[in-house]
Amino acid sequence: MATLKKEIFEQLNLQHIKPEDVAYDQPLFVEGLGLDSIDALELIVLLQQKYGIKLANPAEGPKIFYSIKTMAEYITAHKKQ
Amino acid sequence: MELYIKGIGCVSPQLTYNNSVFLPEIKKYAGKHMMCIEPDYAPFFDTGSLRRMSRVVKFSAAAALTALKDSGITQLDAITTGTGYGLLENSEKFLTSMAGATGSVLSPTAFIQSTHNTIGATIALITGCNGHNNTFSHKGFSFESALIDARLLAAEGAKHILAGAHDEISEKTFALLDRLHAFRNNHDAALNDYEKGSNGIVAGEGAAFFILSAHQSEGDYGILVDNTIFYHPESTVQVKQYIDEFLEKNNIGLENIDVVISGINGDTNSDKFSHETNHLLFAHQTIALFKHLCGEYMTATSFGFWLAAKMLFTQQVPQSVILKNRHRQPKYILVYNVFQNDHSLMLLKAC
Amino acid sequence: MEVYIAGKGIISAIGLNVGETLHALKAGISGIGTQTNLLNRHDNNLPTGEINLSNAQLAAMGGLNADYSRTALLSIIAAKEAVANACINLKDFRTGFISATTVGGMDKTENFMTAFIRDGELKNIDQVLYHDSGAITELVAEQLGIRNFVSTISTACSSSANAIMYASRLIKTGVLDVAIAGGTDAMSLFTLSGFNALMILDEHLCTPYDDNRKGLNLGEGAGYIVLVSEKVAAGLNRKPTVKLAGYANANDAFHQTASSPEGKGNCLAMQGALKMSGLAPQQIDYINLHGTGTSNNDLSEGMAIQRIFGEHVPDSSSTKTYTGHTLGACGGIEAIFSILAIEEKLIFPNLRLKTPMKELNFVPVTELKEGVEVKHVLSNSFGFGGNCSSLIFSKVN
Repeated sequence: MATLKKEIFEQLNLQHIKPEDVAYDQPLFVEGLGLDSIDALELIVLLQQKYGIKLANPAEGPKIFYSIKTMAEYITAHKKQ
Repeated sequence: MELYIKGIGCVSPQLTYNNSVFLPEIKKYAGKHMMCIEPDYAPFFDTGSLRRMSRVVKFSAAAALTALKDSGITQLDAITTGTGYGLLENSEKFLTSMAGATGSVLSPTAFIQSTHNTIGATIALITGCNGHNNTFSHKGFSFESALIDARLLAAEGAKHILAGAHDEISEKTFALLDRLHAFRNNHDAALNDYEKGSNGIVAGEGAAFFILSAHQSEGDYGILVDNTIFYHPESTVQVKQYIDEFLEKNNIGLENIDVVISGINGDTNSDKFSHETNHLLFAHQTIALFKHLCGEYMTATSFGFWLAAKMLFTQQVPQSVILKNRHRQPKYILVYNVFQNDHSLMLLKAC
Repeated sequence: MEVYIAGKGIISAIGLNVGETLHALKAGISGIGTQTNLLNRHDNNLPTGEINLSNAQLAAMGGLNADYSRTALLSIIAAKEAVANACINLKDFRTGFISATTVGGMDKTENFMTAFIRDGELKNIDQVLYHDSGAITELVAEQLGIRNFVSTISTACSSSANAIMYASRLIKTGVLDVAIAGGTDAMSLFTLSGFNALMILDEHLCTPYDDNRKGLNLGEGAGYIVLVSEKVAAGLNRKPTVKLAGYANANDAFHQTASSPEGKGNCLAMQGALKMSGLAPQQIDYINLHGTGTSNNDLSEGMAIQRIFGEHVPDSSSTKTYTGHTLGACGGIEAIFSILAIEEKLIFPNLRLKTPMKELNFVPVTELKEGVEVKHVLSNSFGFGGNCSSLIFSKVN
């Protein structure tokens, strides 16, 4: 998950937030980090480019990208072998 | 309709983002391009917004917000901008990702911020301005069209209008144009070298924004009396005719013009009309140049406009811009520019 | 001072000129389909509204060199038709050409750039010289013999609507007597990839205003109208039957790409156009919807329309169901559809609508209506960056 956190920070260019301030189960959207729909798209790109997972339905996004932990769980479950 | 210039903001290859000074010193450039001296962006944008903004979005929005703050206006009625090439860095970024892509989805941020109206939209977002919002993208007429739009808007009832322009130098586009021999080395050239003429231009970039209004108030920089464009004239005779008609339309004689701010860029071919009109028409005017300060780009006249506004306000014509001095107090200023045979005239006067 | 429409010219996936376009509109023939060789590098088989002619064929039609950007090739064809249709000798008047585009010369640039970035290939480097929007406009202006005034607007999907507005304002203030105004956009991989990255493209034929809509289909084309002053109109042999009665440009100021849920900018644009035209909402006979087919777009527009028209929403339809979303050209193209509705007494259907949107109290028409007295048409164009523009065309009494 540490790697994933680093990748998220890079993809979203979150220079203004300290990685250590973001807990693995902290909600990414809605409050706190101020991420928006474009960030959600960027995370979809991350999933595909780094983990080979194609997310066809962006509507699933909010559930998967809820926190770094939920994202990591999704990746583990769907990662191409 | 005459418009009062209530606020100015300019980010350029000179130290212009600070409104309290007026070209305190001139930075000379040795190479083929001049890049902006950028302000600290922290006062303008929160870090959350900054992460997504490319360089041109940052320096253009900063210029616009500077103008807004400078004017003391809180409620904008309209935003109109001009850009020749649009947002190149983002376009190149997206093109690069396209070139490397193998069927996967691409990162959308660069694409979203590549559309020409990005800066106009960004400013609308930051200021909450729901009014008229336009972006012109037409070579040497981009800023001019925005000014015409601003004058139309004022006549249609808009009280405070933000009008401005921006263009950026980006790595790949510059490299390609360089291959096409568009540029020359500046070699720290001084103003006089620009008059002598050479082959090729020195690339520049920048953003300049102005708050314009039909209503006068204290502290206005000056007045935009009128502006016009003429497209691909065929001879100097025709250019002279256009200039005469423009001045006549504004009830002003050539003898009333104190300063001509000329868009001479040092490329012999580009400067043909400017030299001829300087010689034919402007023998009694102080002639000032500006492209030795900001370089050549499609919206460089926005820098020329900034220069005019500063001159009118301070009533000073800095030595660093004077090509020919007739020691005239700047009451009426004419800005004349030619970009690839797109001609532009702007008439400004002191309050 | 009134501004009249003296001519029109169009090219899109449903026709190479006004006549063919009208035929397709009446017959319900959509021009959206799977891509031809034009963009054969794209892996997905996304439906698009492409014009089934090569650049060489378009060049032969328009009289421009085939090496120029497809955006310019489309532009000259439509602009020439508009001028011919107007039967005006442009040189007798102060004439302007106000064009609009979002793609510009990108179709050529992207071709060159991909090879350059991948392999350092410099062949065709001079294609980048016509990348900028103004270059495209000037290529066409030269062919049309324009000498007085040119400009180009680039405000995403509202571009050509804004060009038409700008032209009208220049005529009203006496800067111009005649203006050819509208816009053009050719299909490009850049745009297709970009919209794909935003995940707002429908993999099937788009279904705007359908509850199950999945996104938009991109299209290409050009549409121009010739606007004239009252004085010029009075001197024409064929008196104009349609005028540009009202318009407005507003900004949503909500988000870079998404519209506000209540469609604030959309509302302001429509209200502004109505105010200028002096018309009450119930006098509008037909709304040519922006209707791209995205979840967000149609809802915002629909909500804004409900707010303004209340219980009495006029007949409406999204003609993007025919042409796809022609981006910078859609304002110009759909202005022509609006004018045709008035001239031909037609209301065009919104194709492929099966399930009405549950949030709205109105449903766009799904069958062609003929012999209808169409006096006033509202045409919407809402774009990225919150740029919202509405035009109202009215029948001349």
